[in-house]
Amino acid sequence: MSVSTGRALRMAYLVAGVAGLGFFVLSVVLLGYWPGRVLEEQTRRMSPGKPLDLSASERRGRDVYAREGCAYCHTQQIRYLEADIARFGAPTLAWETQFDYPHLWGTRRIGPDLSRAAGTRSADWHYLHLYSPRVLVPDSVMPAYRSLFDGAPDRPRLEARDLVAYLETLGRNRELAGPEGESYAREACDCPDDHMAHMALSVTPVNGHPARARRDAAYPQLPAGTDLERGMALFAVNCAGCHGPRGAGDGPGAKALLPRPTNLAQHRYASDRLSEVLWNGSAGTAMSAWRDRPLPELGAIAAAVQSLSIAEPDTPPSAEIAALGTLVYEANCAQCHGVDGDGRGPTAPELVVAPTDFRRQQPTLAASVRALREGVGGTRMGVWSDRLASDELLAVAHYVRTFYRESR
Amino acid sequence: MRPGVEESTPRVEVDLVAAHGLAALVTLLASVAFGVIAAIELLFPDLFGGVPWLSWGRVRYAHTQGVIFGWLGNVFFAFLYHAVPILSGRSVTSALAGRWLFALWNLAVMVPGWILVLAGVSQPLEWAEFPLVIDAFVVAGLALAAVQFVPPFFRRGVESLYVSSWYVIGGLVFTLLAYPMGNFLPEIVPGARGAALSGLWIHDAIGLFVTPLALAIIYYVIPASSGRPIYSHFLSMLGFWLLFFVYPLNGTHHYVYSVIPMAAQVGAIVASTILGIDVVLVVTNLLLSMRGSGVFPTDVGLRFVATGTVFYLLVSIQGAVQAQMAVNRAVHFTDWVVGHSHLAMLGFATFAGAGGLVHVWERLPHVRFNARACHWSYWLLFAGVTMMVVDLTVAGLVESDAWQSGVPWIESVRAARPYWLIRAYSAIPIIGGFVALLIGLTTGPRRDMQADREDAVDVRGAGRLMPRVAPDVAEPT
Repeated sequence: MSVSTGRALRMAYLVAGVAGLGFFVLSVVLLGYWPGRVLEEQTRRMSPGKPLDLSASERRGRDVYAREGCAYCHTQQIRYLEADIARFGAPTLAWETQFDYPHLWGTRRIGPDLSRAAGTRSADWHYLHLYSPRVLVPDSVMPAYRSLFDGAPDRPRLEARDLVAYLETLGRNRELAGPEGESYAREACDCPDDHMAHMALSVTPVNGHPARARRDAAYPQLPAGTDLERGMALFAVNCAGCHGPRGAGDGPGAKALLPRPTNLAQHRYASDRLSEVLWNGSAGTAMSAWRDRPLPELGAIAAAVQSLSIAEPDTPPSAEIAALGTLVYEANCAQCHGVDGDGRGPTAPELVVAPTDFRRQQPTLAASVRALREGVGGTRMGVWSDRLASDELLAVAHYVRTFYRESR
Repeated sequence: MRPGVEESTPRVEVDLVAAHGLAALVTLLASVAFGVIAAIELLFPDLFGGVPWLSWGRVRYAHTQGVIFGWLGNVFFAFLYHAVPILSGRSVTSALAGRWLFALWNLAVMVPGWILVLAGVSQPLEWAEFPLVIDAFVVAGLALAAVQFVPPFFRRGVESLYVSSWYVIGGLVFTLLAYPMGNFLPEIVPGARGAALSGLWIHDAIGLFVTPLALAIIYYVIPASSGRPIYSHFLSMLGFWLLFFVYPLNGTHHYVYSVIPMAAQVGAIVASTILGIDVVLVVTNLLLSMRGSGVFPTDVGLRFVATGTVFYLLVSIQGAVQAQMAVNRAVHFTDWVVGHSHLAMLGFATFAGAGGLVHVWERLPHVRFNARACHWSYWLLFAGVTMMVVDLTVAGLVESDAWQSGVPWIESVRAARPYWLIRAYSAIPIIGGFVALLIGLTTGPRRDMQADREDAVDVRGAGRLMPRVAPDVAEPT
């Protein structure tokens, strides 16, 4: 090789080498630094109010989430796609991620996205699910995180409490900002032509999770279930973990939950009530909504629940007992349960767990007496045996059963 | 020998080749064990009764870090100790530094890294799962590797470098740049901004570390084994520079339809497309160089490398296709992508690495070599990786279909189960293949008993390869 060819090649490689470094720097600038600047600017402009940073406990919970590799099965990034929005809610905005050191976006979804986990499940549900996931979701492949607990799902160690506290931060800021926050962000964005921004800011509700319990929300009437066998099979898979195989409220997960899963066998339910609770869940309890299920499936489950009832044929109480029951009820129970027994007494809206609507849900006499004697743990239904004489208690136990209307 | 080459004899550090080769096999088997545990746990999640250090997330961390740094890192180093003296005509910088590098890489990175990850001290970033304290040793190791392997090429003079040498230089230098970006920056840059950087690293880990060094092996082994020169040095160099220009610009395609500015997403998708075209160029050149060797060459090292080349083509075209928005919206987040990663790491990189290791081993004095076991290894791995990738690709489509159709989430898990079962079964040929590789490199007759007592081999013997590796290096056309 001649000297000049060698020099020319050396020069060419020097230029190419510099260009190679240049392209690497270019990649960091164009795909790392510049998007970072844009996202930082978006965050600055679009953050409504002062978003909450993580507390010490939530931060510790985040560390647990990180070290267990949760992000390898659960993404924290709702994409700007209809399918993602329909399933999880509003797409992730830059400002929502400003406290994530490091980000936990993930690239694989074996379990569902958790960007909007806040307010979706009850803490008890999370504890039970972390301790033994397959009690709640039989086909789940999630590992059981037994080491976060002191031997039982209702005895979470600090790490489990921190982790659940952290889950409750996911999507919290966006929800706290409310519709005002959304319109603030829309104006601050100042991006009339940005299709993606509009997509992100026009989703209501922000948390679209189908399992999220809603109170007093609309619900469809479920079709009358005719296939009882299918209903029982669905019940066995989806409900028995808490409510027990025969609906006696004694499933393997029942002990971990407060309020305890309802003893379905000890109640008679109007179809309307089952439609509501299956569609909207029961806010303040571990009873999730099942809105991602096709209506015929829910109808079949409702039929199965009705078939589980062991309620005895109704014998109306004597006039004397009824009179005493009315008296006691109106003095003590109507505040919450309503004069008509519809669960809409004046204090009802203040209660985390809605009072029972006796017109659509009739306990057996035994269940009614037990609730009065022992209260209902995890709700504001207290113990009445020390406040009512035993004949009063029995009378009111009879009385609440008289509200039930099959047609409702 | 061409003028200007020193007459002093470059040394191949035989002990370091053997040490890294064996470390590669040991870390490989451990990494595969982690992967298999994770695969089985998807079928039997309660198998280990909630033992934290065997839980899915932690073994998943250990699996990927083991594959990229334990297996591929060690196999690359083993190959470099053999190839760098031959390619550059110079010894590596220091045998002592080599012992430090070996100790650092295996005893300060792999072993403590795994222990910490399994104990719950880790970093939740993909391809960056070892905790920060380990990252410091990785960077030290990469710097030491650059000092060890890059200077011999510059002492030789860059104008006459064969393409493998360029890939070695590029891979070591750019990984040193990219690693801190992916491992340190997301810790101080939050959320979406950090994700943009992570996306770059996820791709650079494969594009600037694994791919260049695997290609260095492929470009080396094909001429060295077949005895025919590379088809076109011009295409080799064009492919090399295009790859280094375009690869880093791909990263954002991991976050398509995210809040990261659409211009960056589209730019990365365009770059991904160009990269796919570049790989077609590279692989065409490689396959043309193989003319006359057959589709399944009899030389098992060459056969591994040839199949790795085909996997490289497949995985790169697949990558370019799945980066397109219309495809990405469907397959992103599914097992399709897991199949893609295994086609890249287990198909392309592992076949190149195993081919390089076998090639080197056959030429190493005083080691055992069992060709029959290596043939078994090839066919078992070929069956295993094909089974696994096809299975996961279909699984991804099934999951995507479930997600699009709006059925409850758990239905997508239920639908994936049979495919996860097949994937777990694919572990049988894969484990068999790797055990056969271990047997192939540790049993059988010892080679070259004469050289048994020597620490280093006279590379003049191996140097006869030089004109075959890069026959027209001295007179570029």
